Amino acid sequence: MRARRALVGLAVLAVAAAGCGAGGDRPSILGKEELVIGVKPDQPGLGLKRQDGAYEGFDVDVAKEVAKRVAGSGVRVRFVDAPSSERERMLRSREVDLVVASYSITPKRKTQVGFAGPYYVAHQDILVRRSETRINNVRDLSGRTLCDVTGSNSYRRVREEKKIAVRPVESASYSECVDKLRNGVVDAVSTDDLILAGFAASQAGQFKIVNRPFTDERYGIGIHRDDIDGCEAVNKAITQMYQDGTAKKLLDKWFGPTDLEYTTTVPEFEGCG
Amino acid sequence: MTTSVLPAPQAAPPAPPPATRPQPGPPDRPSTSRRLRLRTVPGRIRAWAAAAVVALVVLFALATMAIGDARDGLYVVGKGAGRQVVATADLYYALSDMDTQVANMLLIGEERLGGGREQAMARYEQSRANASEALLQAADLADDDTERATVRSLLNKLGEYERRAGQALLLDDRADHPAGPPSDPEVLRLYREATNLMRLELLPQAYNLTLDNGVIVRRGYEEQHAAVQTGRVAVAIAGLVTLVLLVGLQVYLARRFRRILNPALLAATIVVTVLVGLVMGLLDREAANLRTAKEDGFNSVLALARARAISNSLHGDQSRYLLDPAGADTYEQVYLDKSQRVLHTDAGNLDKYYASLRTILKEYPEKVTFLGLLGDEANNARTKAHRDALAETLERYEIFQQSDRRLRLMKQSDQVQAVRFRMADVSRTFEEYDKSLMALADSHERTLRAAIDDGDAALAGWDYILPAAVLATVALIFVGVRPRLQEYR
Repeated sequence: MRARRALVGLAVLAVAAAGCGAGGDRPSILGKEELVIGVKPDQPGLGLKRQDGAYEGFDVDVAKEVAKRVAGSGVRVRFVDAPSSERERMLRSREVDLVVASYSITPKRKTQVGFAGPYYVAHQDILVRRSETRINNVRDLSGRTLCDVTGSNSYRRVREEKKIAVRPVESASYSECVDKLRNGVVDAVSTDDLILAGFAASQAGQFKIVNRPFTDERYGIGIHRDDIDGCEAVNKAITQMYQDGTAKKLLDKWFGPTDLEYTTTVPEFEGCG
Repeated sequence: MTTSVLPAPQAAPPAPPPATRPQPGPPDRPSTSRRLRLRTVPGRIRAWAAAAVVALVVLFALATMAIGDARDGLYVVGKGAGRQVVATADLYYALSDMDTQVANMLLIGEERLGGGREQAMARYEQSRANASEALLQAADLADDDTERATVRSLLNKLGEYERRAGQALLLDDRADHPAGPPSDPEVLRLYREATNLMRLELLPQAYNLTLDNGVIVRRGYEEQHAAVQTGRVAVAIAGLVTLVLLVGLQVYLARRFRRILNPALLAATIVVTVLVGLVMGLLDREAANLRTAKEDGFNSVLALARARAISNSLHGDQSRYLLDPAGADTYEQVYLDKSQRVLHTDAGNLDKYYASLRTILKEYPEKVTFLGLLGDEANNARTKAHRDALAETLERYEIFQQSDRRLRLMKQSDQVQAVRFRMADVSRTFEEYDKSLMALADSHERTLRAAIDDGDAALAGWDYILPAAVLATVALIFVGVRPRLQEYR
């Protein structure tokens, strides 16, 4: 009997040993049935929470497309607000699976979270009233009033980095800036072109974008740092979205009516891990 | 693994293994029913022996698999996709250089700077040839539809780029102008179209191809590295079981037949012990080699290929900054953004960036306060050779950036002098930086090669050693038990 038992034992051990290799249980967004995605609630054209609680915008549509391609068409997607200051924390605590919220890839953020994409490279540009003729690039802002949003570094870029003598008009938010632009309190608003285009589209015909981009803002999809498989799958999804024309369709949908000149080809990825 | 479908022990245990050697034993075997009865002494001996042989076969299968995994891992990191990464990085470099040379040709005008237009043209042709070759290679090795679509798109856009750049050059030829922006605004418009095509469409796709191959290497490595380590545990367990069975058989025979030692079985036990030890050592060495090749070699080779690609492209932005007055602000900002991707430090504008590079240089290697691709490299450089090479690269990078500072100052006062400076000093400091970057990459490439070569060398011969040792053990078991079985005839 001992011999038989030994044989059985051998088989059991072999099976156990074989089983070990299959492991590797790092949590990933891949194969999840529900994805929680953080988006902006207050950014027209990118991420906006409607009255009925649903979200809409370019970021939201990109998020849906990516989720579908990464986790299958049966995946449930739940959107939550992702305020700028909370994004890293939400990803690290796995409160959200992804963040698609005009989230620029920076080396500093990369020490805390992972980034797939960028899915779009936005550029700092300038929004002016349609009647404005004298502002054709960033240098023309010299001596003019420019909206300075508390906590945003777009103004600083013009004033300090480019050393252009603009006159600041402080505001709490970009929507306030846009109101001031309409009322003639400021001459220009400068921030990421997609954000400007979103405002321009929501108030058709009043404003125009100068289309003289002067920075690169690489909008990435935030993901937990350890989820490299997930990050790579998101990159593949983004590539396919550009290759099959989905990205162009979404850009046309949200920014087509504006005079923004947008890029419809795949951006240079950051690389995962 | 398929080891779960072991022959169940109840099913007839294989009598003396078939494939060993011409069987010298008597052809008249006992009937099946008798053989299976474990209560008889010969039945038990047969069962023990059969179990040991089965365990050996399992050991053989597990060791073969683990060795195969090691071989696959070495292949994917050292040859396959690992090589492809280098090829596509060359593609990016060649494309980016084409665009830089076009900008230079337009910028030089009628002056004979840095060898003049002819030399820039020759370099353009060379880069175009390199790009075509790298694209062909990429097309050859593209292994899924998304990647193939990228290569196809690159081929199409490259033709379009050449057409537009050619138009700009042709038009510029008609109107001689001093060094600096072309006199005909149409030239700039055409070049802007060309460079946008390059920067927004061609380069990103080339860059992503490199990353795609990096993904293949990472997955291949993780899979095979884990498999080798699991294989090592499995081999240890199977080896232990085999040894227990051999010793068990030895003890059974000793008790039953009152003999102290069965020399053949003892030899089999020794062979298995040595074999398992060697295989464990081999797998240990292979896992370590794979790790070194990936972590100390490949990771840096990839990161530095990316750093070199981005550096070349920011070097081109220097020319475009001088070439296109309307786009100068954009090109300056993009230059800073790209510099920050190569080496990141908290600096909002170029002046601060130049200044903080000095501090960084002073602190390295005691303190690494910077991020970006060179920051990754600083954390990756574990050996002294790598760290020294990185220190050299950082120094060259700082010198290059200082020449950039002077270039931008010069442009404000004297455009022609700035163009001359760009073609002479800036080019030279860039090339020295680029060389140091390549030397750094080479030092990691050597680490990679050494690990792969050591891995391959360690595997040599195992295709024969393993089956030979297993067959010898089976034969020894057979030799050990056959005389005892014959006593019952």
